[in-house]
Amino acid sequence: MSNRDAELYQKMIDGDKQSLEALYDKYEKLLYSFVIKLSSDETLAEEVLQEVFIKLWTQKAKYDNTKGKFSSWLVTITRYTAIDQIRGNKKHNVSLQEETDVPEEQTQSTEDLVEWKEKSAVMKQAVQKLSDDQKQMVDLFYFKGLSQSKIAEQCNLPLGTVKGRLRLALKHLKEHVSALEGGIRDA
Amino acid sequence: MRNECDKVLDYFNDQLSENEKAQFEQHLESCSECREELEELRELTADLPFSSEPVDPPEGMKDRVLGAVFEEDEPVSNEEDPVVYMDEHREQKQEQVPKQSKRPWVVRGLAAALILSLVGNLYALTNNGQEQVSDPEPEPPQIEESTDQVAKRVQLKGENTQANATAAMIRQNEKELLTIQAEQLTPLQGEEVYQVWLIQGETPYRAGTFVANENGEGAVAFSMDQLPEDVEWDAVAVSKEPDANSETPQGEVVMSSSL
Repeated sequence: MSNRDAELYQKMIDGDKQSLEALYDKYEKLLYSFVIKLSSDETLAEEVLQEVFIKLWTQKAKYDNTKGKFSSWLVTITRYTAIDQIRGNKKHNVSLQEETDVPEEQTQSTEDLVEWKEKSAVMKQAVQKLSDDQKQMVDLFYFKGLSQSKIAEQCNLPLGTVKGRLRLALKHLKEHVSALEGGIRDA
Repeated sequence: MRNECDKVLDYFNDQLSENEKAQFEQHLESCSECREELEELRELTADLPFSSEPVDPPEGMKDRVLGAVFEEDEPVSNEEDPVVYMDEHREQKQEQVPKQSKRPWVVRGLAAALILSLVGNLYALTNNGQEQVSDPEPEPPQIEESTDQVAKRVQLKGENTQANATAAMIRQNEKELLTIQAEQLTPLQGEEVYQVWLIQGETPYRAGTFVANENGEGAVAFSMDQLPEDVEWDAVAVSKEPDANSETPQGEVVMSSSL
């Protein structure tokens, strides 16, 4: 799967528009949904995707296959682009209350979302198993991208405590994921 | 002032100023603990995007996005070329390109000089195997419209020195050039030279030699044709060598950067 991505990416670098389109088709919904989760803003999400794919196409962001999977790299770029736009864009941060009510239409071909489908149930359950404080920590740090001092302020913690708490929350999350995945395999 | 090790989270979330970020990246080179913490953060958060609820993109988004994307030309050498810092997955915003009044000009001057010297080759190349070129005009390529493209640019810095340099890999058709533009170099003695190295794993490859002028400036352009192909370079470094013949670094490394 990721080999296919690397192949497409390489062709795209050589100027092949169809390869970029294939990557777009494959990741559009995941990235869009991810930015909606980060920003709750549909307009911003589209802008972010556009910027991400411009960065890809113009090679302002470059993927290096020695540094891990293409999909991880792509979501990382997307996260930074989104955080950056959210920061500069606070004024039209429209809240999308019905976010979770959006119908889940499975109109996409299956190939593009295999990894997402495999992981989403486990990830959601694992997050649910965290304490409220831990959930908040992960949310403020990863999904809101806040600075350490803002996190300290919002959680009412000393600045120096934030890192330890965050690491603990993330490690708990990982343990839950491992346990859930183990459970699936055993079942 | 905050201890550098306390900046890991803010670095991860891109919350540092340009200066702080550069400082922290320098710190990262010598602090394995921070590197491990960053790696751990990446690893532990890698699957979080998959917890997003699926949301269908609005109608027509693909056409709008790809339409805008393909309107972008591939980047040509200019001042807004990305500066790729050590932490490569983080692409650079344009306003983050360090404001340097002189250097971009010098680099561009250097690139222009290279293009001039290579324009004959370039012309020959562009006129063989011509099919993919969309521009129907038969004019010879103009210098401003050359296909040169900065593939990567990094800032080199040293521990105990003011000396610094910009290294750029320029892709020109199928070829790659490495240019180095250094300043605040200490003067050389006798046959001493500054030697550029491209490093893969533990192995250094010679990648250009230069000397400093009386203003402490030096530059070199190196054709990467002479190096093994398809190598993922890990780092670029400049060392001071006793003469221009060192096959491996003999003298001290003055400055370096990961690639």
